[in-house]
Amino acid sequence: MFKWQKLGKVFTPQDVTDRPWLKEFAQAPATLIFDDFVRVYFSCRPPADESGQYVSHSAYIDVDRADLFKVRHISERPVLELGSLGEFDQFGTYPISVARDGDIVRAYYAGWTRCESVPFNVGIGLALSTDEGRTFVKAGRGPVLPYSPDEPFVLSGPKIRRFNNTWYLFYIAGSKWKMADGRAEPVYKIRLATSEDGIRWTKLNRNLINSIVEDDEAQASPDVIFAGGKYHMFFCYRYSTNYRGKEKGYRIGYASSVDLINWHRDDSKAGLTVSDTGWDDEMVSYPHVFEIDGKTYMAYLGNQVGRNGFGLAILDGKLGDV
Amino acid sequence: MTKMRWKKLGKIFDPTRHQLPAGCVEYAQSPQALVFDDFIRIYFSTRSVDTNGKYLSHIAFVDMDKTMDRIVRVSDRPVIELGKLGCFDEHGIFPMNVIRHEGKIYGYSCGWNRRVAVSVDTAIGLTVSDDDGLSFKRIGDGPVLSASLGEPCLVGDGFVRFINGTFHMWYIFGTGWKVYSSETAPDRTYKIGHATSQDGINWQKEEARQIIADRLGPDESQALPTVIEIEGRHHMFFCYRQSSDFRTNKSRGYQIGHACSDDLINWSRDDVELAIEGTSGEWDSDMLCYPHVFESDGAIYLLYNGNHFGRYGFGAAILERTA
Repeated sequence: MFKWQKLGKVFTPQDVTDRPWLKEFAQAPATLIFDDFVRVYFSCRPPADESGQYVSHSAYIDVDRADLFKVRHISERPVLELGSLGEFDQFGTYPISVARDGDIVRAYYAGWTRCESVPFNVGIGLALSTDEGRTFVKAGRGPVLPYSPDEPFVLSGPKIRRFNNTWYLFYIAGSKWKMADGRAEPVYKIRLATSEDGIRWTKLNRNLINSIVEDDEAQASPDVIFAGGKYHMFFCYRYSTNYRGKEKGYRIGYASSVDLINWHRDDSKAGLTVSDTGWDDEMVSYPHVFEIDGKTYMAYLGNQVGRNGFGLAILDGKLGDV
Repeated sequence: MTKMRWKKLGKIFDPTRHQLPAGCVEYAQSPQALVFDDFIRIYFSTRSVDTNGKYLSHIAFVDMDKTMDRIVRVSDRPVIELGKLGCFDEHGIFPMNVIRHEGKIYGYSCGWNRRVAVSVDTAIGLTVSDDDGLSFKRIGDGPVLSASLGEPCLVGDGFVRFINGTFHMWYIFGTGWKVYSSETAPDRTYKIGHATSQDGINWQKEEARQIIADRLGPDESQALPTVIEIEGRHHMFFCYRQSSDFRTNKSRGYQIGHACSDDLINWSRDDVELAIEGTSGEWDSDMLCYPHVFESDGAIYLLYNGNHFGRYGFGAAILERTA
């Protein structure tokens, strides 16, 4: 089992008072590492509109590489524009995942639109940055990963990785909407697509990991890192209904693989769960694991899926030890 | 080439005069033919009314004798149920294009699902029949062709033909929604595109290449491409209109366009060559839309809708060849 030492919350969006689009939430942290700082992307929201509906923006903070709790800079504006009328990302860009590709930075992000019979649909878009990830320009007005017969809706939670000269896109795909207490709730599972150019994707077309808490378990944030000769995936999972509290809310799971295709799930190794008290005492979710200067960290969300920000934990030892 | 001369056969099916499945009473839109030895099955989209007062489109069919004078049968249920909650085809299928392939019938459905900021989005699904087209099953809950980087919305109206070992699909993609006036809901614009496939399931788009030139400018919407080979040339028929104020303003409404190609890549548009227009005082006086061309016993037919987007049925014309 991995042993994580919780370091506390790094960023609290409510502390930022001069950016109206950054009022609450700092969800799905994802890092881009620089020489002397670490850029941490996240998704945030302005206050809900008069009908209680949110939009999501993606932004970043720069934290000191030598002290990850020292925030040096907060992005002046969202890194992506919302989509135009009728486009897949008109009502949100959340979450975002970034990777360097030579001199540019690629961002894969989930775009949100609103539907009539279900609350939303989500698609995965691509945007490119030529200024070290400060701003991104969309590669197109539509999504980069199409829906397909086995992945009918809610393509979300992208995590872009490059292994062995191939792009790997881990993401989630909705498999059904189920009605619970008059509300449509999506069930989604972790999936994989690969690409040579980052634009044309070949889907694996199957779930990467099994479901444990129930058949309709929802899985998210498939965060993959290579260490010690194998691939490690930290992700989060929850029940499909009544998941907004502690009992059935998000927890962090773990799976490993030697080939990126076949994964062995063993949540008992994940090593990070809810605290007895504090900002993460009901749920933990959206893990992102990164290595820096010989140390391994996990950024993650606490209660209310990051409404009050994200925190960090540091690993005792190395990922390859387990 | 010789100008095409179409002889109109008049309206051949009026949905209000028949018992329709799924509680539908009006609309027989976008007729699509499947030719059998002794009859022609014509699929169409008809509409029921949802609990919130909005329409749901369903695919039904009418079997006609080969002269298209006589109705043999009207389907007593939709040939495919609508999609599940949240799926691309939850709120309607309109149209569905059918082709025979390896003993089965493939139905390429244009599925509709309702949105909040705009009325709808669409995508193209694949359904398969192994009972001569009486019923179809979808290969999955999701589409085979949907929005992509350069085609941001409204991928629909797939028309598929298997030519020299390759599946070709002509379809439409949305280029965007626009608010034209403060009193009207947003309107969309779409153009005709092309994709190919080896298996009919996995498609390679030409990604946002508009293959048919605009006649009315950038705010022209093009729909329902249908392609047939006549004497060695590929002919495409489609309908086109202004993107706004097209529903009741005859001068801005749907007309049928035409283009031809020798290589299935470059298309030359010539709406005049087609020469089929509305007949004053008739069912197609104000509008012609949703064309479908097919061959039966050596004759080439055009099915199409007239006024009110096919609310009161569809008609046919036969090509008079003088070449």
